[in-house]
Amino acid sequence: MGHPVTTNPFIIMLINMAIVFFVLIALSFVIRLVHLIDPTAKKKEAPKAAPAPKAAPAAPVVAAAPKVDNNVNIAVIAAAVAAYGLGNKIVTIRPIENTNWKIGGRATALQNTVC
Amino acid sequence: MELWNAFIVSIISVWNDSGYQALTMGNIIMMIVGFLLLYMAIAKEYEPLLLMPIAFGCIMANFPKTGFNDEMNVMMAIGFGIKYEIFPPIIFMGVGAMTDFGPMIASPDTMLLGAAAQFGVFIALAGAMMVGFDIKEAASIGIIGGADGPTSIYLTMKLAPHLLGAIAVAAYSYMSLVPLIQPPCMVLCTSQKDREIKMLPPRQVTKFERVMLPVVSTVFISLLLPAVASLIGMLMLGNLFRESGVTDRLSDTAQNSLINIVTIFLATGTGLTMDADSFLNYKTILIIVLGLIAFIGGTVVGCLFGQLMKIATGGKVNPLIGSAGVSAVPMAARVSQMVVQKYAPGNFLLMNAMGPNVSGVIGTAVAAGTMLAMLS
Repeated sequence: MGHPVTTNPFIIMLINMAIVFFVLIALSFVIRLVHLIDPTAKKKEAPKAAPAPKAAPAAPVVAAAPKVDNNVNIAVIAAAVAAYGLGNKIVTIRPIENTNWKIGGRATALQNTVC
Repeated sequence: MELWNAFIVSIISVWNDSGYQALTMGNIIMMIVGFLLLYMAIAKEYEPLLLMPIAFGCIMANFPKTGFNDEMNVMMAIGFGIKYEIFPPIIFMGVGAMTDFGPMIASPDTMLLGAAAQFGVFIALAGAMMVGFDIKEAASIGIIGGADGPTSIYLTMKLAPHLLGAIAVAAYSYMSLVPLIQPPCMVLCTSQKDREIKMLPPRQVTKFERVMLPVVSTVFISLLLPAVASLIGMLMLGNLFRESGVTDRLSDTAQNSLINIVTIFLATGTGLTMDADSFLNYKTILIIVLGLIAFIGGTVVGCLFGQLMKIATGGKVNPLIGSAGVSAVPMAARVSQMVVQKYAPGNFLLMNAMGPNVSGVIGTAVAAGTMLAMLS
């Protein structure tokens, strides 16, 4: 190990905080840049222009999350509901969008500190 | 009679070779400390996953004549994992695999809060120098304020390895006490009106953005601060496993089996550094006090910077998310949510607080890397 560049705590603080801010600000710009050039975002907007076809009324399950292939999740949820012996037909399975229930669920899930 | 004599000689020999013979008052005190930590882990459930192996390691480190440090054995091998900085980067890989960077990508502005909360590190650094620690020791003590166990261990092993036990215990103890330490500071730095500010939920983030973040940030930060390339690189590799969607098995291993195995080794190894000779001195008490100051400093400055952001955004940012800039993931974000729930029921900030929380991890690693570059 060599000699420290400086032992003045104020200078160390100043330099360190400047670098920490610089790195995180630079990263935030990179994140914005990635968002701007994101080719998948454009693809997502394109199908929105076309009217979505209506789901057939006889279909047992209608997925409302177009971004991800949720077929497996839907099948598992439907099987779980069926296993409870509920006789009613499942009309729709859709993700909860930004409700307090959803956030509350996430809060419960984050129980342990990992770092 | 001969049998009796042989029996007596054997008993005396066993006694002379036993640890009881060489037990010192320091060993006894440290074993009591170990039992106390064990009690806190089991009965109070304060970070039991970390505190239990640390406590048990502490108890074992104070058994005399074990030869843990004299010849190659499992305890020495565990010690090598810490001494040669193998475990902290692997823990970081698990953290990356477990952590959703989405809220940070969705609200890059909140990364400033993760930077501001690092101020606590340097408050403690200055304090440590004022009470007589040298600059390398002070930097290692200051990093406790980052609330990041692996980074604390990583930096301390490079700058002040003789303080590892005290610093690791202080870091992990305060991380477990985040729900007790932070709320009073948060309440002091905010008004009731501030706490009632509702923030918009973060936008949906695409897979492209999620995949690009670990790649780009690894390249950018590792080239700037090579000293922490292993920490940042492994953090982002773990996150890439998670987000790529094509390495489910690796992601699963990193965030479950691997991090659990390495946590056992890292925490036990940390406990094994807590022998009476290196732990029982006034410096330990100073480190514990300075660690607390660092934590409080980081929380307060985070909240104050949150106030600045509130003003700058015309009241769109709730300053309470600033406290999550200390990087105890996800505990600090949960504490933001907990305080909001207490003072403004129905207001949910958890996902907004995850942005500064995750950027705090990166901020602490960057602070550590900068200090390594300046001081080593």
